[in-house]
Amino acid sequence: MSSRSEIFGAIQALEKREIDHPGDFKSYKAAQDVVGDFKNSLSIVGAICVDAENKQEAATRLSEIYPDLLRYTSHEVVSNGLDLEAVDVLEIDGMFGVAENGAIWLSDQFLPNRVAPFICQHLVIYVAKSEILATLHEAYERLDGNYADFGLFLSGPSKTADIEQLLVIGAHGARSLTIVLV
Amino acid sequence: MLNHAEASEKFIEDAERTTWHDETLWFVRSKRDKVSKLLPEWEALREQASLIKDHTLANLGQYLEEFESKAQKNGIKVHWAKDAQEHNEIVLSIISKHGGKALVKSKSMLTEECHLNDFLTKKGVEVVDTDLGERIVQFRNEVPSHIVLPAIHLKKEDVGETFHEFLGTPKGNKDPQFLTEAARQHLRGFFLGANVAITGVNFAVAETGEFVVCTNEGNADMGAHLAKVHIACMGIEKMIPKRKDLGVFLRLLARSATGQLITTYSSHFAKPREGQEMHIVLVDNGRTRQLARDEFRNSLKCIRCAACFNTCPVYRRSGGHSYHQPVAGPIGSILAPNFDKSANVDLPFASTLCGSCSNVCPVKINIHEQLWFWRQDLMKDGLAPLGKSLSMKGMAFVFSNPTIFKMAGYMGRLVMRFAPFIVNNSLNPWFKQREMPEAPKESFQSWYKNRK
Repeated sequence: MSSRSEIFGAIQALEKREIDHPGDFKSYKAAQDVVGDFKNSLSIVGAICVDAENKQEAATRLSEIYPDLLRYTSHEVVSNGLDLEAVDVLEIDGMFGVAENGAIWLSDQFLPNRVAPFICQHLVIYVAKSEILATLHEAYERLDGNYADFGLFLSGPSKTADIEQLLVIGAHGARSLTIVLV
Repeated sequence: MLNHAEASEKFIEDAERTTWHDETLWFVRSKRDKVSKLLPEWEALREQASLIKDHTLANLGQYLEEFESKAQKNGIKVHWAKDAQEHNEIVLSIISKHGGKALVKSKSMLTEECHLNDFLTKKGVEVVDTDLGERIVQFRNEVPSHIVLPAIHLKKEDVGETFHEFLGTPKGNKDPQFLTEAARQHLRGFFLGANVAITGVNFAVAETGEFVVCTNEGNADMGAHLAKVHIACMGIEKMIPKRKDLGVFLRLLARSATGQLITTYSSHFAKPREGQEMHIVLVDNGRTRQLARDEFRNSLKCIRCAACFNTCPVYRRSGGHSYHQPVAGPIGSILAPNFDKSANVDLPFASTLCGSCSNVCPVKINIHEQLWFWRQDLMKDGLAPLGKSLSMKGMAFVFSNPTIFKMAGYMGRLVMRFAPFIVNNSLNPWFKQREMPEAPKESFQSWYKNRK
């Protein structure tokens, strides 16, 4: 007998128990100021937030934050992720942000490569202010029926506290994260 | 092998380090309290998570089948392993097809449970653990002492020494920023060159056939998106029914684990990228046995956040290695007897039954009750150490005979007052690191009788 049928056999041998799924969860209160909450969460997770009036101003701010680094923006697919290893600053688009935890949903449809947000040294993500949702429940509501082949919630720069619980930014992924609100 | 009490005794020899360990973990627990209290619906979320898991475990067969068929439709290869040995063989057979000699692996408690690293190393495959904490303990030929903070038993001086030896960092340098950078550079080489990446799985979604992996460092993604082959290993209890359920679990996981709002990366893998092979190994290894036991089934709800470790007064003062199991702490102590009762007979006793573990558990596992159930089970099987069963029997005898009980109390007070050396000696474990209390002059009963 295959292990698969052994495992299913062991489960089917159990007494049937009827327990319903509790249904979808709803958050208790509607957020008043999602953009303000989002900015607050960004500062907790160690991301830089650029709230610019226009594209010109955003560009100026970015060149101040990353003065001597080459910024790379591409919506074209890079088939070999290794080609992105030398990228200092990668600029990409996020689909929406989540106010309660500063996370941004990235889908591989809008990434040059799946490894892009991880392999670059610094990451810049553009998110529309009108696309900030209150909690993860609204986020999954929004994603309903929209199944990326690969997608992620990204919140803050890569970090670790594995040495004595002391926080260090820049473990394996991006050393800094800047969110540009447009 | 040392039992929990013996190993703890060694751990607490260094009083300063024990205090540091205790306080650091309590600090993590306090961060959890702070962020959880920001959510008015926190308790409702815990209840919801617990109910979803109840429902899932009651319908596990159906959800596993749904997950399998969706994942296969997504182009993922699905494997089934009844035990650790079969899991390891499956992983090895996949690796062998691709001829890589080194592979990168992110954190997976399941592979620790199956001792995959040892197995692969013996077969000539080099496993590079890429989580910083896991890499540190791997260099030192140790195992993780905590499922979320693998190197929490070490101080930065220890890490500095280890990196000096293995990575050639300057002797005496113990700056966490510097050491983390050294590990980043060292591991990047492996990420860029590895053919095969192994990751764990935090949640597998039946509805979509996708799985979610959560990290803060980004190591799981660096490995998985660069390697030609991605192998994800999971226990069959990692299943959840719907994608929307993820909202509940992702809100609870990081808040409970480290007091973060969410992990830095919560990656949803649904399909392999073009030209990539993606495998999932679903492992039983005793889980269906646990599923059949009414009093222990709830332990399968665990999402491995380690909140119960951080809050446990025994774990904080005895360290993870004293549990001699891949998963330590209170949850480990109720999982371990399912694998091997006699080898883990000490673990359900490594607790004060204070219940703090159950109070912080994000999926509301009744951990402290299960510890107590295991104690009864192990005693019934006659597995308790002789000293414990004798003293329990003695205690039962004394407590069920009022005359003997009174006499024993009287004798005890006399001894402690006039001949304290009889109890204040190294033969009495209660005297270790404690002074015995001053004996009262009379018992509560006689005080109550004689009160005016």
